[in-house]
Amino acid sequence: MHSILAVDDSASMRQMVSFTLKNAGYDVVEAVDGEDALDKSRSRDFDLVLTDQNMPRLDGIGLTKRLRETVKFKTTPILILTTESSDQMKQAGRAAGATGWMVKPFDPAKLIEVIRKVVR
Amino acid sequence: MSDFNAFDAPELPLFAAADLQDDLLTATNDLERLQTLLDDSYQTLQAGFFSALGLLQGMARSGPLDEAIVQLSCAVKAFQFQDMASQLIAHTSQRLHHCADQLARHAFASDDEDGEAMVEAAPLRANPVTQSAMNTGFVEFF
Repeated sequence: MHSILAVDDSASMRQMVSFTLKNAGYDVVEAVDGEDALDKSRSRDFDLVLTDQNMPRLDGIGLTKRLRETVKFKTTPILILTTESSDQMKQAGRAAGATGWMVKPFDPAKLIEVIRKVVR
Repeated sequence: MSDFNAFDAPELPLFAAADLQDDLLTATNDLERLQTLLDDSYQTLQAGFFSALGLLQGMARSGPLDEAIVQLSCAVKAFQFQDMASQLIAHTSQRLHHCADQLARHAFASDDEDGEAMVEAAPLRANPVTQSAMNTGFVEFF
């Protein structure tokens, strides 16, 4: 079973993402912000990181940069799922090493389709 | 009865008045979009919920389960309004607080002898939520 680290400071978003991914057969670990995600990434491996951008303590782009600095997450797909759609933010996400950029709201079927494309 | 006389109030510098007007108009526009988001989400939730409910009630008579799942997926999408609305409200609240603090600072300038009254910083960034409907967002691979 593939495991996914889902990061979002909004409890309702974590609930929706977890519900969708678990129904599709993925093992999901939730984190409340970038710092929490970093802590959880140290103790286990993940096949994909799905993160929000705007979060307290450490945002999605910051998290991506920090994960890419580690050997363990050098090639792990990282998707940023956010309300942000500006080119400037997308470019910052790309420069940090993100695999893709998804704008909220997500459609459950579309999210699963995207994850199946990047998780092998 | 208030003894406040508008003609006795200190005059607001033109640049400050213009800044305040700009902030307040932006805040008003953000709140209008928030109302649109909430209305749109409510309609989708209501329609999805009652469709799914009707289908699930019919399941005892071998109703179409796949269609119920499709309807619930629509509800999952609409439920995300809570996150988007919260971001809009937080951003707009910060802007309004900034306006109120700035206005108070000018109105009570004579009471603030050391000029150190706290003014909450206005949001540095544009509002992160630019959506005005709950349509599915786009996906871009790098």
